Amino acid sequence: MPKLQLSRVTKSYGAFHALKAIDLSVDPGEFIVMVGPSGCGKSTLLKAIAGLEAITSGSIVINGRDVTSAQPSDRGIAMVFQSYALYPHMTVAENMGFGLRMANRPKEEIRVAVERAAATLRLTDQLEKLPRQLSGGQRQRVAIGRAITRSPEVFLFDEPLSNLDAALRTQMRVELASLHAQLNATMIYVTHDQIEAMTMASRIVVLNAGRIEQVGSPLDLYRNPDNQFVAGFLGAPRMNFLAGTVEAIVGGVATIQLAGASAYAMPLRPGADLAPGSAVTVGLRPESLTPTDGAGIPGTVRLVELLGRETILYVDAGPLRSVGSDTGTANLTVHVASAVAAPPGAAVRLRFNPDDAYLFGGDGLRTLSAPKSI
Amino acid sequence: MYPRPIPQTARAARALYVALVAAILVVWLAPLLAIILTSLRATNDVASGNLWGWPTEFGAVDNYERVFTQSPMARFFLNSLMITIPAVIGVLVLSTLTGFVLAKYRFPGGRAVFAMFIGGNFLPAQIIMIPVRNLMLTLGIYDTHWALIIFHVAFQTGFATLFMRNFIAALPGELFEAARAEGASPFQTLRHVVIPLVRPALGALAILIFTFIWNDYFWAVVLVVNDTVKPVTAGLANLRGEFVSQWNILSAATVVVAVPPVVMFFLMQRHFISGLTAGAVKG
Repeated sequence: MPKLQLSRVTKSYGAFHALKAIDLSVDPGEFIVMVGPSGCGKSTLLKAIAGLEAITSGSIVINGRDVTSAQPSDRGIAMVFQSYALYPHMTVAENMGFGLRMANRPKEEIRVAVERAAATLRLTDQLEKLPRQLSGGQRQRVAIGRAITRSPEVFLFDEPLSNLDAALRTQMRVELASLHAQLNATMIYVTHDQIEAMTMASRIVVLNAGRIEQVGSPLDLYRNPDNQFVAGFLGAPRMNFLAGTVEAIVGGVATIQLAGASAYAMPLRPGADLAPGSAVTVGLRPESLTPTDGAGIPGTVRLVELLGRETILYVDAGPLRSVGSDTGTANLTVHVASAVAAPPGAAVRLRFNPDDAYLFGGDGLRTLSAPKSI
Repeated sequence: MYPRPIPQTARAARALYVALVAAILVVWLAPLLAIILTSLRATNDVASGNLWGWPTEFGAVDNYERVFTQSPMARFFLNSLMITIPAVIGVLVLSTLTGFVLAKYRFPGGRAVFAMFIGGNFLPAQIIMIPVRNLMLTLGIYDTHWALIIFHVAFQTGFATLFMRNFIAALPGELFEAARAEGASPFQTLRHVVIPLVRPALGALAILIFTFIWNDYFWAVVLVVNDTVKPVTAGLANLRGEFVSQWNILSAATVVVAVPPVVMFFLMQRHFISGLTAGAVKG
């Protein structure tokens, strides 16, 4: 039985549809990460699951029980907020025991639950402190502890790490992942940070404009995005998108003419609906492009980011055309897995293996290239 | 940039500033000082016109004693307390409830209700004087403490609601969502989350409302007539008729009347803590 089942969940504010018929099934113990650009509806969906926002239509079932119109506290969920939302006048222990206290649980039971959560989160020494006496990371742990004491069916996290500095975020990411393993809990986690999504998720849900674009394991989404949006959203630096035209299709392989460059043969997925002459978008991950001494796409280095063990090159590739760019020329991002000394202004040639390229229909809604192995 | 570092302004300007502050202070405090000095003098000095010079005889103890023994001031004082304290409590309770609802809940007509609370403050007392008096007569509480208590609660709650609503609206919204997600009812949220965090506002409001009501003279004259229910403000006016030549006693009574708001300020001062919400959100 799925732990959480969303069916046709819709949320409208007048004519604006924040959530459009969301279907999602979450199994017990899964760590689901919802990602998407600002305003895609990911936080709204989380609040709808929590019961803080009423949904317009559809149903929400948690642990086999329809909770669509239940109060947040009757849903078996606990939520961790982006801002922690700790009660500033209560001690750590009071904060963590608040939910149980509101439910009129016996004092002893509250104390035991709080102490157990505190031990899990290494907060035992902080129990008598006020939130303002704690560091950001400790406050975050108190917020998580508050969720743990209620032993919910489903944990909901709303961008919990976005207020922490980079080092602490990395550390908390690891702690959250191990906490998930330790509690074997079902967690739903909203973030805009794709590193968090890639590293923690059992499955990623990519949301865009109130709709689910794709659901899948992190690597699956990275290697086989369903459409241009998912391809562009996952991966940093972002995938390069170039305009191309289909020259010919022979035996499931399309010959694609990139504007201003030579033609490339790319395998199509079975049933790809494509005709010669149609416009397509070619997607190239920055790591698929390699500087070469031989033949390749000519370009000029505009900017170099030396990151030590890797280098990001920003290349103006004159004759090529980026999709969505109005400058006329293509700006390619190239990832090289070593330190490269290439001064700005230097001429480079780039090559790529057509098997690594992605092919999208002109509207970007479907991936047409053959699936890639993970 | 303002405020500017002191040495940046010219010497003369600084001197002028200090002189001006001093002058304004003198003008501001002169009446108070005159009353305090007069309350310390014996009747002879006041009668012979020795108002600012060294008194020939000190009458402080005598004056203050006579305020309570030879005038109904004690009764007036008690009346004032019996009116002001319940009214302040009533205003605080009601405005916390209305402020909470108007700040954190959306419901049809919510804005209209809020507008009415604010608009009510603009009604001139002179216009509603007769209707309010008639209303109190109809209710059968004219010339009782209740007339003043109910009127002040009704009239001050408007301003107090505006005050509390704005304060509560400034509390982080996620605290309320968190409380709701943890199963706190609206009343539990109010009791365990809102009230502890708006304590400074409640303290400030208590002082303001206390002073407003304690110092009210207009309604004290309009709604009560009997000495047994009259508050100090109306009572003081009475004294002037009775002891027309005894300014020293009237002054002493005035000083006594002025004490409670000051006491109130010091009582409430410990609630003025800044940064109560520190640590609630962000890092």
